[in-house]
Amino acid sequence: LALYFHSGEREEKCIIEDIPTDTLVIGNYKVQRWDIHKHEFLESAPGLGMFVTVTTPSAEVLLSKLYGPEGTFSFTSHLSGEHIICLQSNSTRFIAFAGSKLRIHLDIRVGEHFLDESVLQAKDKVNAVNFRLEHLIEQIHHISKEQNYEREREEKFRKTSEETNSNILWWAIVQTLILISIGIWQIKSLRDFFISKKLV
Amino acid sequence: MLLRGSGTAGPWGWLTLLLVACAARASEITFELPDNAKQCFYEEIVQGTKCTLEFQVITGGHYDVDCRLEDPGGAVLYKEMKKQYDSFTFTASRNGTYKFCFSNEFSTFTHKTVYFDFQVGEDPPLFPSENRVTALTQMESACVSIHEALKSVIDYQTHFRLREAQGRSRAEDLNSRVAYWSIGEAVVLLVVSIGQVFLLKSFFSDKRTTTIHVGS
Repeated sequence: LALYFHSGEREEKCIIEDIPTDTLVIGNYKVQRWDIHKHEFLESAPGLGMFVTVTTPSAEVLLSKLYGPEGTFSFTSHLSGEHIICLQSNSTRFIAFAGSKLRIHLDIRVGEHFLDESVLQAKDKVNAVNFRLEHLIEQIHHISKEQNYEREREEKFRKTSEETNSNILWWAIVQTLILISIGIWQIKSLRDFFISKKLV
Repeated sequence: MLLRGSGTAGPWGWLTLLLVACAARASEITFELPDNAKQCFYEEIVQGTKCTLEFQVITGGHYDVDCRLEDPGGAVLYKEMKKQYDSFTFTASRNGTYKFCFSNEFSTFTHKTVYFDFQVGEDPPLFPSENRVTALTQMESACVSIHEALKSVIDYQTHFRLREAQGRSRAEDLNSRVAYWSIGEAVVLLVVSIGQVFLLKSFFSDKRTTTIHVGS
């Protein structure tokens, strides 16, 4: 696990994954706690766990589980859209506890299943090519799904632009009509007023 | 020491493959950066590894963010303010933890969604050449070229997806702004014109009719 970032003890860190439907997402994480006495991050922190929450684009919760300090979680999307993966520690310490922070290592993989190199080495050459071909086919399926999703999004984009266009036209017409009718009403009203006041 | 197996890779083949596999990593994360916030990421890199950092702002404000990349000694390798998209390649000159930060501290109330892709090392070869007796067969070289092509397709697809998301975000912003401002303008127009008439009428109210007759 390579990339890591820091977070407060009770802070929730979220990442966004915009994915098509029926896509498998696998996440690996490892969390370490800062030890104020030793001034370094502890290698293991027993009792420390992370709540992993996955929210779908329709705001329903797909996954909400407590894992240990090191864990793997996965989910498959049923809808296409922005899924939000949130990590929050289950630490019960006070927030005001100075100098306390967490180091979270994170690795998220979307869509394509990565090669299991050890399986590859065990088989002979013909099977190795088979294995690679299967992996390539899976990659192509993922690309195709992404393309379909992209088409949906572009359609939504186009609809929004066309709506803006017609909004501008419609509101300009409405405002002109308001202007003209208010103008007529103003003149009429003032004329009647002055006549009634015997000024004209 | 078992160096030569019988048709299967010996322990050294395993080890080199593991090392090479470990050297190549790519992390891509899309996260939300709140206003006045800074988010840093760290990665341990071995000396001599070629790394690429690419980032893009997808939604929020003027679609720009500050980015800063530092090496283990604290020397700044890359620093850009208010950039929308950039790609930076470097070779690690020393072992240690490299740090890169995205900052939205110049913004007072807009959250930004930032995407970044940090690639460390090159991908391992599909068909490792340690125990080869012959050159790659046609099938294998076809696999390799298809794999390369698909990698670039996925890369282009990601870039296109991000650009489209950015465009769509701007279009939605524009749409809501047009709607609100138009409604606001229509309301202001009505209020001002009706108010004008009543104000004018109030100037000619009964208590002052005597002063006007003086001028005639």
